[in-house]
Amino acid sequence: MHYQAAEYSWGYYMPVRSIGPDPLERVVRLASESAVVIFSVSSCCMCHAVKRLFCGMGVNPTVYELDQDPRGKEIERALVRLLGNSPGSVPVVFIGGKLIGAMDRVMASHINGTLVPLLKEAGALWL
Amino acid sequence: MAFGFCNVLPFSSFLDENENGLRWSCMASHRVGPVGETGLSDSGPSNPHVPYSVFHGSNVPTSFINQEGSAFDFRELEEAIVLQGVKIRNDEAKAPLFTGRPAATLEMFPSWPMRFQTTPRVGSSKSGGESTDSGSAVNTFSSKAEVQLESESPISNKASSSDHQAFDHQKHLQLQQQQIQQEMANDRSRAGPSQNQSDVKAPQEKRKGSGGSSSTSEKQLDAKTLRRLAQNREAARKSRLRKKAYVQQLESSRMKLTHIEQDLQRARAQGLFLGGCGGAGGNLSSGAAIFDMEYARWLEDDHRLMAELRTGLHAHLSDGDLRLIVEGYISHYDEIFRLKGVAAKSDVFHVITGLWMTPAERCFLWIGGFRPSDLIKMLIGQLEPLTEQQLVGIYRLQQSTQQAEEALSQGQEQLQQSLIETIAAAGPVIDGMQQMVVALGKLSNLEGFVRQADNLRQQTLHQLRHVLTIRQAARCFLVIGEYYGRLRALSSLWASRPRESLMSEDHNSCQTTATDHLQIVHQSAHNHFSTF
Repeated sequence: MHYQAAEYSWGYYMPVRSIGPDPLERVVRLASESAVVIFSVSSCCMCHAVKRLFCGMGVNPTVYELDQDPRGKEIERALVRLLGNSPGSVPVVFIGGKLIGAMDRVMASHINGTLVPLLKEAGALWL
Repeated sequence: MAFGFCNVLPFSSFLDENENGLRWSCMASHRVGPVGETGLSDSGPSNPHVPYSVFHGSNVPTSFINQEGSAFDFRELEEAIVLQGVKIRNDEAKAPLFTGRPAATLEMFPSWPMRFQTTPRVGSSKSGGESTDSGSAVNTFSSKAEVQLESESPISNKASSSDHQAFDHQKHLQLQQQQIQQEMANDRSRAGPSQNQSDVKAPQEKRKGSGGSSSTSEKQLDAKTLRRLAQNREAARKSRLRKKAYVQQLESSRMKLTHIEQDLQRARAQGLFLGGCGGAGGNLSSGAAIFDMEYARWLEDDHRLMAELRTGLHAHLSDGDLRLIVEGYISHYDEIFRLKGVAAKSDVFHVITGLWMTPAERCFLWIGGFRPSDLIKMLIGQLEPLTEQQLVGIYRLQQSTQQAEEALSQGQEQLQQSLIETIAAAGPVIDGMQQMVVALGKLSNLEGFVRQADNLRQQTLHQLRHVLTIRQAARCFLVIGEYYGRLRALSSLWASRPRESLMSEDHNSCQTTATDHLQIVHQSAHNHFSTF
């Protein structure tokens, strides 16, 4: 697992201004930067569960802890809008830049066998 | 019981004899004590409430018992005493016990035979007819004021004054007891003979009316028969009363049952409505109750749908028709997951602790339901023959369910750890309240885990349908349904299993138990094995 501050990107700090005021844009950009991206809150147990799921499969996801991000609240709100009528804001999973969804979608896709091909496609799994 | 009297003859020996042979002893004397309290006690010799102070004389009983020549009908005596006691109780607010009457009781067993009279059964709560008839059969004293049964034998005086009763040594104790009872009755109004005469007036009259023969033996026979008659009447009356009480009980239970059924119907209707509204309204317990009812109905539907599956399979329906049935069965499962979601919103503890399941199912509880990987494990042996591709699919399904379960379990564990820390965090009252609020917030995450676990279960069932052919899927769901049916049956069998005595130590007893269980199972679980 690989925790990352949201502002850090491509080995250097980008000026805050250039990231842009739109949190959704940020989300999309961050999501495309890694094979598996998880937006999480450090105290959230469901986030812990989804992290354990990927680690159990041998995947190394990039985790953004929104409670440790100064602009995390905005990102949370953006995620809620993105997901629609999801009960919580986190965890939200992106694989290969594409939105997978919250925990229930991740689990469903794992059970119906679509998760592993996605991971392989994104280069997160080799086998 | 510290009665010197009892040392004479063991209590149990009296119970061994038949009614007619029941010898008066401690037993009868016991009766005297609580007469005022028990009133309509039963006729069995089982009254432990004997006042300690009743019988101090230890020497007297011996002589008394020796005097007893013939069989004594205890029951009659007891009933007479009881009636007397009821009368006393009706007459006075309090029935005085034998406090302060040691002298009287001591003198109850003089060395000379005593005369007796019929018991006054009037004025009691019994029916008039009863008292009229039975009064003559029971003997009593006329005088209560002076229970000085010593040298001057006042009883005889009283007897003569109230009636001309022939002395019958069979009725000694009866006499004495009646005397004591009357003494109790007349505790406050020690009016002497007149009082007692008024008490015994009616029976005396009856006694007279029954033919005041002066011959002892005649009276004896007469009295015996009359006594028996009275006893029968008394017993009949008691059983009538018992029957009445029982019928009343039944009636009230019936009323309660109809009320409960009505409530159930109402709640069910409400449950449907509330279920449609997403579980809005109602407190926690009502959410649980509603879910339990919904689940019971779901189980009924389950039986019906399984029967459909079974007949569909055996009838060799076309794949299209069978598909409809299978889809219907899957929707049936979707429905219970939806209901559980609603219930988890209102009462997550009820769902997550599996209170709605039978105990055997609860044994395998995982976050509010069955463990999907366990289900796959169970099915793997039952679904053959499978193609290579299907086998791969099933094993992949098994692996992914295991990984998902592991992830959810770890997430739940972290929740529990966090809760422990929050609840255990000590602090001043204000901080403590704060911690409780935090804990409450964390608890709300439980609902999420139940939802995810149910989601996992639902996805597993859907995936099974995709991996298998339609006929295999039909068989698969039938197997699942029967499996849980058996688990539920196991719960009831376990609850009603014969409890072998724990005394036997040899292994054979365990074998026997297992065999007994096997017979029970064979009788009741025939259809569970049809598909397996």
